[in-house]
Amino acid sequence: MRASINRPPTPEPEDDREHQPTFQESINIKLIESGEKERLKELLRERLIECGWKDEMKALCRAYVRKKGRNNVSVDDLVQVITPKGRASVPDSVKAELLQRIRSFLGSTAI
Amino acid sequence: MSSNFHHPNLPFTSQIFPPSCPHLADFRSRNGSKSFRLLQDCLRVKPPGGRAAIRRDPNEVPRCSSCGDSARPRLYACVTCAAVSCHAPPSHSHAAAHAESMPTGHEIAVDVDRAELFCCACRDQVYDRDFDAAVVLAQTTASTLGGNAVSSSGVSPSQPSLPPENLRKRRRVDYQPWMPDLRERVLVGANSSPLDCVNSNLGSESELPWGLRGLNNLGNTCFMNSVLQALLHTPPLRNFFLSDRHNRYFCQRNVNGSNVSSNVNDGNGSKNSRICLACDLDAMFSAVFSGDRTPYSPAKFLFSWWQHAANLASYEQQDAHEFFISILEGIHEKVDKDRRKPYSQGNGDCCIAHRVFSGILRSDVMCMACGFTSTTYDPCVDISLDLEPNLGGSAKMAAARSNLPCNGEADCMNSSQNQRLSSLVGCLDQFTRPEKLGSDQKFFCQQCQVRQESLKQMSIRKLPLVSCFHIKRFEHSSVRKMSRKVDRYLQFPFSLDMAPYLSSSILRSRFGNRIFPFDGDELDGCNEMSSEFELFAVITHKGKLDAGHYVTYLRLSNQWYKCDDAWITQVNENIVRAAQGYMMFYVQKMLYYKASEKQSAS
Ligand SMILES: [Zn+2]
Ligand SMILES: [Zn+2]
Ligand SMILES: [Zn+2]
Ligand SMILES: [Zn+2]
Ligand SMILES: [Zn+2]
Ligand SMILES: [Zn+2]
Repeated sequence: MRASINRPPTPEPEDDREHQPTFQESINIKLIESGEKERLKELLRERLIECGWKDEMKALCRAYVRKKGRNNVSVDDLVQVITPKGRASVPDSVKAELLQRIRSFLGSTAI
Repeated sequence: MSSNFHHPNLPFTSQIFPPSCPHLADFRSRNGSKSFRLLQDCLRVKPPGGRAAIRRDPNEVPRCSSCGDSARPRLYACVTCAAVSCHAPPSHSHAAAHAESMPTGHEIAVDVDRAELFCCACRDQVYDRDFDAAVVLAQTTASTLGGNAVSSSGVSPSQPSLPPENLRKRRRVDYQPWMPDLRERVLVGANSSPLDCVNSNLGSESELPWGLRGLNNLGNTCFMNSVLQALLHTPPLRNFFLSDRHNRYFCQRNVNGSNVSSNVNDGNGSKNSRICLACDLDAMFSAVFSGDRTPYSPAKFLFSWWQHAANLASYEQQDAHEFFISILEGIHEKVDKDRRKPYSQGNGDCCIAHRVFSGILRSDVMCMACGFTSTTYDPCVDISLDLEPNLGGSAKMAAARSNLPCNGEADCMNSSQNQRLSSLVGCLDQFTRPEKLGSDQKFFCQQCQVRQESLKQMSIRKLPLVSCFHIKRFEHSSVRKMSRKVDRYLQFPFSLDMAPYLSSSILRSRFGNRIFPFDGDELDGCNEMSSEFELFAVITHKGKLDAGHYVTYLRLSNQWYKCDDAWITQVNENIVRAAQGYMMFYVQKMLYYKASEKQSAS
């Protein structure tokens, strides 16, 4: 049951009802609809700035762009090169805090 | 009508824009000013002041129309047909597939969570002024009506209130180097005699750089001496006076010319109209740069300042910072009076004090209820910073940092260790951080028409040539009738990049990556000058509130000197780093001549 009854009909390229959401997806939808996802994102942004992760990524991006030349780098290139490094260097404490937040959200919401 | 489309080669900002892609250009030329009409109806901003997102209706959960995925970090909506597709290279990209499968015109898409444009063919971010204008407008005036939906009537790109031409306002030139022309060269040659020390004993007698001269203490006047030493070695100020731009003989003649009485050399004219702090500075520059190394007594200056400050009602202070402010005011007032025309100090068209020290602060106050933002600009000659409140909450941060793996790149070692100390950079971060104003200082929102809670954010719209930071170490409480001094150590860098504190950076972090069409001045502020600064003077305060002592450290030719009233000594930079900074003076890097300082002096 999704809270879509009140939604005005919008042109959807694909029929919604045929799509069976997986468990993971329904969590995602709950997170989005409740606004919790946006709050989590904001928290994550804050933490990553605090711990210096953002500055570190910025420095890596700068270095890569300098190496390749400013006009030879696309956003996709950058995302591809930096993502593995970025994933690997998120502090465990930040991951733990977010995980805890998601857990308590799920606990308070019946899915 | 000329096209609004931004030509990529126009260098209207120092931020380099990637060359606009042919697909966006194509799209624009086919759809003209209506290009993003469809999208504008889908702009959602929540909460007020939050990020902009693209949703067809407020509660939509966007999902890829090909694979149904809604959890992907990058979902793009085609600006032509509104189809949402995921983009997860290199494994797959339904967005790119969409662009390829359709006839031309479906390459440009918008990130549904960031409201930023992307070209699926070029696989790169693209920028469009009209689109960005609409997003920024939506973010600043997001209305609570209709569940945070933005009425589309207000964001038409053809609306006259948002002409993209705003971007390029006239340029202002703040600093003009002076070179003598032929006539002046002849005059200089004929009427001046070389200074003794230049030919003979500079360097042999003393290793001290040019112009370094002790100042005698005239009885608790270290607050004055410390500031004067910083001013005497402020590069643009020094250049101004040493190139004779305020000639005390001319200036005094003018004053007395209107006055008939002609006691020029007496100098002790008791009429305030005759006091000119710039003249006194001119005299001091001549004395200090004469090559004479015996300590100089700034008695004349003190006397003039005393008379000047006596009019200011609050002359009792012995605070170096207040003294600094009153000197700048004094110089300004005199020039203002002479010109009989009010000058605005912020824009650089003013007296030498303001041309050197004046910057412009921007303050945004946003209504927490509706997102309406009121922006004000204020000129300032320095930035007063609160010491960071006890870094108590930092235990968690420190723990997080210790887990941070170092890739050998960047200087994460440094940053992870240093940031735990109170630092000037930390104070600046705090200064520009959005701050929720308490319920006792609600502001009147023009849109809500009532007093509302608000969020205030400061940023620097225009950098001065010389940035003076004043650390609020003295806390005065008028209620408890007491003052105290905060002795906490504060770290300050020798090189400082002000870019993160510029309004343009602050706005970018609030609105995303955009071309800002709504206020061209933001760009002017940051592109005329580099944002990189070098430290050249630190005024320190030692001891108690009322019985303390001021000492200035000067950096000349990349060497540090301690100016303790009459005594000048060369010191190691570690001594400077360990000192308790009260006022720090930074100069635009391009005006700080590290290597050439010595040559230009001789
Ligand atoms: Zn997909
Ligand atoms: Zn399409
Ligand atoms: Zn393209
Ligand atoms: Zn004068
Ligand atoms: Zn002025
Ligand atoms: Zn409001």
